[in-house]
Amino acid sequence: MEFVGSILIQIGIFTILATSFNLIIGYGGLMSIAHPIFFALGAYGSGLLTQATGVPVFAGIAFGMALATVASVALALPSLRVSGDYLVIASIGFQLGLLQIIKNSEWSGGPGGLSNIPPLLHAVGPAAIWSYVAIVGFAAIASILIVRWLVSGDYGRAITAMRDDEEAFKGLGHDAVRLKLVLFGIGSGLAGLAGGLYGHYFLFVTPEQFEILYSAAMLTMVVVGGIRTVWGPALGAVLLQFLPQAINFLKLPSSVTGPLQGILFTGLVLLFLFLRPHGLLGRAPGARAVVQEDDPTEASVK
Amino acid sequence: MSEVLRTQALCKRFGGVVVANRIDLTLNGGQIVGLIGPNGAGKTSLFNLISGAIPADSGSVMLNGAAIGNLPMHSRARLGISRSWQHNRLFPSLTVLDNLLLAERRRGELRDVAATRERAMAQLEKVRMTHAAHRLPPELSYGKQKLISLARVLMNDGNCLLLDEPMAGVEGPAYDSIRAVVRNEAAAGRAVCVVEHNISFIKDLCDLAVFMFAGRIIQTGPIDEMMRSPELTELYFGA
Amino acid sequence: MFDRGILLQVLWTSLATASFQVLLTIAFALILKVTKIWNFTQPALMGVAFYAMYVALNWWGAPLPVAILVGFLATAALGLVIECVGFSTLRARGSESITFFIFTLIFAQFVIYVLTLAFTTEPVFMLANMMSPTMLVGDVVVSTWDLHSILIAASLTIALLLFLRFTRTGQYMIAVADNADLAEVYGISKAQSYALAMLIAAIFITAAMYVFGSKLAVYPELTLHMMIFAVVSTILGGIDRVFAAAAAALGINLLQQLSVLVMDSRWQPLIVFSILFIAIVFFPRGIRLPARRVADGRAGTPVLDKAAE
Repeated sequence: MEFVGSILIQIGIFTILATSFNLIIGYGGLMSIAHPIFFALGAYGSGLLTQATGVPVFAGIAFGMALATVASVALALPSLRVSGDYLVIASIGFQLGLLQIIKNSEWSGGPGGLSNIPPLLHAVGPAAIWSYVAIVGFAAIASILIVRWLVSGDYGRAITAMRDDEEAFKGLGHDAVRLKLVLFGIGSGLAGLAGGLYGHYFLFVTPEQFEILYSAAMLTMVVVGGIRTVWGPALGAVLLQFLPQAINFLKLPSSVTGPLQGILFTGLVLLFLFLRPHGLLGRAPGARAVVQEDDPTEASVK
Repeated sequence: MSEVLRTQALCKRFGGVVVANRIDLTLNGGQIVGLIGPNGAGKTSLFNLISGAIPADSGSVMLNGAAIGNLPMHSRARLGISRSWQHNRLFPSLTVLDNLLLAERRRGELRDVAATRERAMAQLEKVRMTHAAHRLPPELSYGKQKLISLARVLMNDGNCLLLDEPMAGVEGPAYDSIRAVVRNEAAAGRAVCVVEHNISFIKDLCDLAVFMFAGRIIQTGPIDEMMRSPELTELYFGA
Repeated sequence: MFDRGILLQVLWTSLATASFQVLLTIAFALILKVTKIWNFTQPALMGVAFYAMYVALNWWGAPLPVAILVGFLATAALGLVIECVGFSTLRARGSESITFFIFTLIFAQFVIYVLTLAFTTEPVFMLANMMSPTMLVGDVVVSTWDLHSILIAASLTIALLLFLRFTRTGQYMIAVADNADLAEVYGISKAQSYALAMLIAAIFITAAMYVFGSKLAVYPELTLHMMIFAVVSTILGGIDRVFAAAAAALGINLLQQLSVLVMDSRWQPLIVFSILFIAIVFFPRGIRLPARRVADGRAGTPVLDKAAE
């Protein structure tokens, strides 16, 4: 019972992570390897604040989100002023560097991790678990709806144009850097939300949970589910929750399951990247025929 | 006739290639200037420098008396510099109407959605492409995409229009259409600069021609005079 | 403030330890210059180079020269697969740069996981005997390893310099680096230059992993962390300037070595990250000396540019 609840909560959290990552790389066209670090900032930020000051957990989670958002803008602003390529590099540095700091510092609990994180719900037993499932589920659906709202309408039009031809987009008076920053900030903020929800459920986080492996996992969910689709990442999150479970069933030693999981995630991305780049839910880009116009009222053109 | 755009001693080089060598160009409202010259003369590069697509090495660009040389491309577009591209560059994933809606440069409270839509349809009406409003650009022929990209330029409603080969791939009634549109925009007080290889279009339309070669402005004046100059003809058609 | 002897020792050690950093930086910067791709698969190549040599030496009992050759062949083979299957497929599709980033980063991680499965996360030493004879030169302790490393790095760097400047193939590679399509018009094969760049990178990577592996232990994920150094050096040196990147690698390594005099060694890796952010914020186009500043207006980053006009 608790096991099923845990699985559903993990699916919910990874849905938030995959959806927000898709906003950044799929819609924003920004490559970042640092999504796990914003996840970590949410978990550690919220955990440390609630531990140290006793503020309500909801406030702690909000703080975690804000921390992740601010950090992401601080990372992206100088990088994007140069180009998107520099964001990739900066994000690698940020991911590896910040994790190094977390592992080597005392305030974060060091390599042993941060424990005794205050729980979001003080009840125990099935009712509490299902309440948590509902909360995470609600947050996951909300994330998907936020992304859906962002990518439709005016904003969606602008995002599509920027992806199609960024220079022509700027030539029309649009600030591409600002749009990218907004997408990056919102995406990272949502990762922070996932981190807060994660920390206040499991009550214990370690640096290993935010390693680069997880950026591969999130990328797999996005690429397999369908990059630049609203529901694809969620599908990816559901499917890929079962992959590690399947591996765990084999009862292999942990020194094997770890890398095996990694091989599966990265292997899947590579497979899809080359064989089915639009993912499971995306539409294959089709050839559009030039339609002959026979409208007599219009100007004749070649 | 008031001065809309002025460049002074604009310079740009890419490695060993000089694409702009102390360019002084003035565009006045109500005037249509034709930029001519052989391939590689630096005409499109000049448009890139004025619009901010590439940064100049030195020199200045003034729009309505204000220096804009340090501004990024999107800021210059917001101030009213509107350009078309040699290869149209319409957004293939968006409908024609959406392509135009994106060209609205007034933002926020100043933007009235319904009015913007109306204005977009009005620009399409000018080039007689209203029926294509909900089509995707790749479904349309090159010439029609040219008309739509002109409509998109007009949507900016700015007073400096830079048109890069607006006639390429266009003939017949569409030619008259575009000529009429460009004349009207100039008559409304906008400064228009056109890069064109079609000499008859330049003759038909432009008040002034500017001959460029190897990044420099060689001569400025009426096109007829230029066509009579053997030196320029040789430069244009190559030695 | 510090003992002259200590300072000299640090300077010497940093020169020696910079050897593999310089080699790795040149490999990374050369691929970037010629193919315009940020080759984040380099950690995979580094891992394969090391573990191929390790297997040859420790599992097959091969002599050292043979092991190094095996290392090179394995690295070159993987490199050619990456270039001729991976990159060329993505190029043919007109893929965006984000696709290249996803491919390179994920591929590197894929190979690292395979290596982890095969060799575990336990750090291993390549040579049975890691002791290197030392001698005293003035106040400075100089080891045979130091001399070997510097010699290897210096000779390969000079060889590359001569190759690029004085051989026709090298000139072709520069032409492709400057303008690949124009080079093709003149009959120079882009594909060959790309493949050759990868092969040269394989030489440098194998040499680097030999130098590194003959002094320090390696585990699969280490290569990912090591790559950051090459990336930062490349940015500071200026994209397109391979030997300036190598010089930057020397400089950063010196800074890192000097830092142990003033801070706890566990924070030493953070020096590189800090320099990375300084580079991105203040020197995104590399550190350029004012006298040589030529505003060439080229896009600062060689992103694959299908709409380049």
